[in-house]
Amino acid sequence: MHRIRRLSVALTVAGVVGVAAPVAASATSLVTVSGATSSYPLVALLAAKYVKLHPHKVRFKIAQGGTTVGINDVKNGHVTIADVAQEPTGADAGLDFYPIAKYAICVVTNKANTLSNLTPSEVTSIFTGKTKTWSSVPGATASGNIDVYSRTAVAGVLTSFKSLLLEGKSVVSAATEEATEGLMRQAVESDPSGIGFLSNYQANKGGLNSVEYNGVACNQTTAASGQYAGVSVFFEVTKGPATGAAAAFIHWVERSPAAKKIIASEWITIG
Amino acid sequence: MSTPPPFSSWLWSWRDPKPDPIKAGGSGGGRRSSPMSWRWGDRLVLVAAWGSGIFLCVVAAAIVLYMGYRGIQDLRPALIFSHPRVGETGGFSGGFLDPLLGTLFLTVIGIVLALPLALASAVWIAEYGRPSWLARVVESSIEVVAGTPDIVIAIFGLAIFQVSLLAPFSFTSEGGGVYGRSFIAAGAMMSLLALPPVYAATRDGIQSVPAHMREAAFALGKTRITTIRRVLIPSVRSNIATGVTLGISRIIGSTAIVIILLGGLNIEPQGSVPGIGLLRGTGSSLTSYIYEASPAGEGGAPEKAYAAAFLLLIFVLALNLLVDRIGRAQARSTGMPTVGAVV
Amino acid sequence: MIERLRRPWPDHRAERLLGAVSLSIGVGVVAMVVFVATKAWPIFQHNGIGWLFGGGDFETEVAKMSAATTSPAASVYHLRVWPLIYGTLLTSGIAVVLGMVIAVLSSVFIVELAPARVSRVVIPMVRLLASVPSVIYGLIGILVLVPFVGNHVISNQEKTSVQSVVQLTGAGLGVTVVILTIMITPIMIALICEALASVPPSWREGAIALGLNPLRAVRAVTLKAIRPAIVAAAVLATARALGEAVVVQMVSGGKTFSPRPSDGVVFWFEPLRTLASGILDYHDGISSPPLGATVYALALLLLFAAFALSVTGYLVKLPLRKYQTRG
Repeated sequence: MHRIRRLSVALTVAGVVGVAAPVAASATSLVTVSGATSSYPLVALLAAKYVKLHPHKVRFKIAQGGTTVGINDVKNGHVTIADVAQEPTGADAGLDFYPIAKYAICVVTNKANTLSNLTPSEVTSIFTGKTKTWSSVPGATASGNIDVYSRTAVAGVLTSFKSLLLEGKSVVSAATEEATEGLMRQAVESDPSGIGFLSNYQANKGGLNSVEYNGVACNQTTAASGQYAGVSVFFEVTKGPATGAAAAFIHWVERSPAAKKIIASEWITIG
Repeated sequence: MSTPPPFSSWLWSWRDPKPDPIKAGGSGGGRRSSPMSWRWGDRLVLVAAWGSGIFLCVVAAAIVLYMGYRGIQDLRPALIFSHPRVGETGGFSGGFLDPLLGTLFLTVIGIVLALPLALASAVWIAEYGRPSWLARVVESSIEVVAGTPDIVIAIFGLAIFQVSLLAPFSFTSEGGGVYGRSFIAAGAMMSLLALPPVYAATRDGIQSVPAHMREAAFALGKTRITTIRRVLIPSVRSNIATGVTLGISRIIGSTAIVIILLGGLNIEPQGSVPGIGLLRGTGSSLTSYIYEASPAGEGGAPEKAYAAAFLLLIFVLALNLLVDRIGRAQARSTGMPTVGAVV
Repeated sequence: MIERLRRPWPDHRAERLLGAVSLSIGVGVVAMVVFVATKAWPIFQHNGIGWLFGGGDFETEVAKMSAATTSPAASVYHLRVWPLIYGTLLTSGIAVVLGMVIAVLSSVFIVELAPARVSRVVIPMVRLLASVPSVIYGLIGILVLVPFVGNHVISNQEKTSVQSVVQLTGAGLGVTVVILTIMITPIMIALICEALASVPPSWREGAIALGLNPLRAVRAVTLKAIRPAIVAAAVLATARALGEAVVVQMVSGGKTFSPRPSDGVVFWFEPLRTLASGILDYHDGISSPPLGATVYALALLLLFAAFALSVTGYLVKLPLRKYQTRG
């Protein structure tokens, strides 16, 4: 419903320690992260665990804003790591992409609309605006016009959604664009005629109806097994090869079993 | 360029409407024309005028009552004293202690930075003001600052504080980019908000100090600057207080500057030095908390938004009452006109 | 030396110090504006004055900008911000006109028509409205007005009529104008009441002696006499409405769309974006060079508009000097 870009909800994981107790070592390095709103919950959990394992060594400042904002921030040196939710494109020369997890993109409707399945052509025609009313969609219990919700252009989930589930077409321009996954979820939750797309973490939090794609449910299991078609990758991106505290964190995420456990809780591990 | 008087001035100086001979039915036998004898058009306008007045009262009452109703429902002492927390999906839980402290902190920084500047300019304009082109430049620039929208001030602040020279005022991330957002950055821009009210109030106050007070001081052999320090400024204390209170209400009510220049939720100091760390750190204010908790932000906690909004409203009303009190006390004690009264 | 500083300062030193401090404000303001102008320059360089007009799809062009690399091609800088300007003109213009009508009527009511008891109640109410922070107006708008309009006022048929172009959610021109009007009316009331109160009563009494009823007397004499104050009120209110970013963003629907009067009633439900809400929306894209330059350029445009407004107000009031009732 409302278009807001925010670099503003920054969560310093365990940085509040600074208020409670004077920071012991002045050699605490600060890693700044910005980017995708879809990988934010994962990165926040990973960072929290990392700080717990390495107290007083490193602090994180994680902001959101969208995949492209993160890429631009890391290119300009404003942040150390960018959270990216789409595959690297040709414009990303000079950046190093480190995949950390996979996620599935689910089509969601309002809870009152118990639509169970959509075929690929139905998904395409709904999101490109060809199908305009719920009455033309078999299995839908909503009535009236279809309110399409999409993401703003900076969203990695949007780029992945377009290439994986929308046959490369664009979402209809009349759709309401939400700036973050949270806002998209709020929008579809409050609009009985709404339809949108979210990462599987947000989609399966309850409060929304997750729609099967071509008969395949959208969750961790189907994504891991390769059954579900809309699976994309979360990357941590640095300018050039990662160095220092950022490199240590990324390598920890890629290799340590503790990190793998966190990833496997809601997302899909790589390799 | 003539400055429109601070818009609030009339509202605070108008206390008892003068007895109006025409309304009161005329003095000495003037017959008031009754609306019954008017033309239809005039009667319509009369109804419209009454309607507008009543409509505004109804709107004001509705806002206060609704905010009160929701606020009393949702405001709990626990909320005031606990830290806000962000859940996994971005929803807010906990209270709003950090935003409260953030508002307080920003107000203090803003006033501390604005007060010397405003006092110095007001004194200079009122008492010296030579050469006159310079005085016009200063007056005009303060007017420009007064008329600048909040969002423009915020963007200007972002541009300035992201310069690498000003990196000590926020922090630098490992890639070399300056973050540009901190309490000191937001506070510095807030001082621009508070500057015009304090300046105008002080200047009006100094200009309306009766000449005999200055002359008495000069007769005693005091220099001009000493007169200012020892006679004029103490006598306009209430004007300064009113100006500061107006400035505080402007700071408390500003949202755009906080959203843009103070990215964050919890108060997070930056670096290891305790006081400076807090200045360089990020946080939030009541207004940005309300914004984030509403459907426009991710907090998804409308009840908390109402509770915080109710608290904010109480603060603003209290400030209003304070200005009222100061104005009345001043009018009683010195007999000098109150802030901005029609001179 | 400390002793020398602690002795009472000579006047000329104090004067110079105070003058320097005062001047620093002016210098600081100019420096800020120049600095931001240099950052905004690339946009003007690539677009020229045509930047202010229409053409192209705003949102796709902004999307291209936000995806831009550090040294993007010149075509990425192409942008036409007329939709934003149109949205600003619509919302502020309608709000000021509506607000002026209500303000004049209410001021006449407060000063001329209301018995003292009633004024004693109305004035604190107006004072209250004037001091409510804008985010609270935005909160009420987004939690009360927008759902009400979206669910109970807009019909399905109306939604279908524009479905191919835009989605109606209740947040749009109507709610924005209503809230802006309520926000700026108290400012205008304060100024106009002050002016009304300072008109010499003898002017009005003269009109009444000639046989006009009180309301006509006000119209014929007082309102004409306070024209400078009405202009000042309009200027101040427009400046306030122009600069309202947070409230407008919360209730205007967040889509860059130019509401079309030809749509009839639906015109009031269509979403829009103004200069100020656009700045707030895109401010965290500042790290992308073209989008950052755009945001700075928009901020400069707003500043220029506010400045031009107060100059216009000053110029309009010049010929009205003869009606000034003070002094």
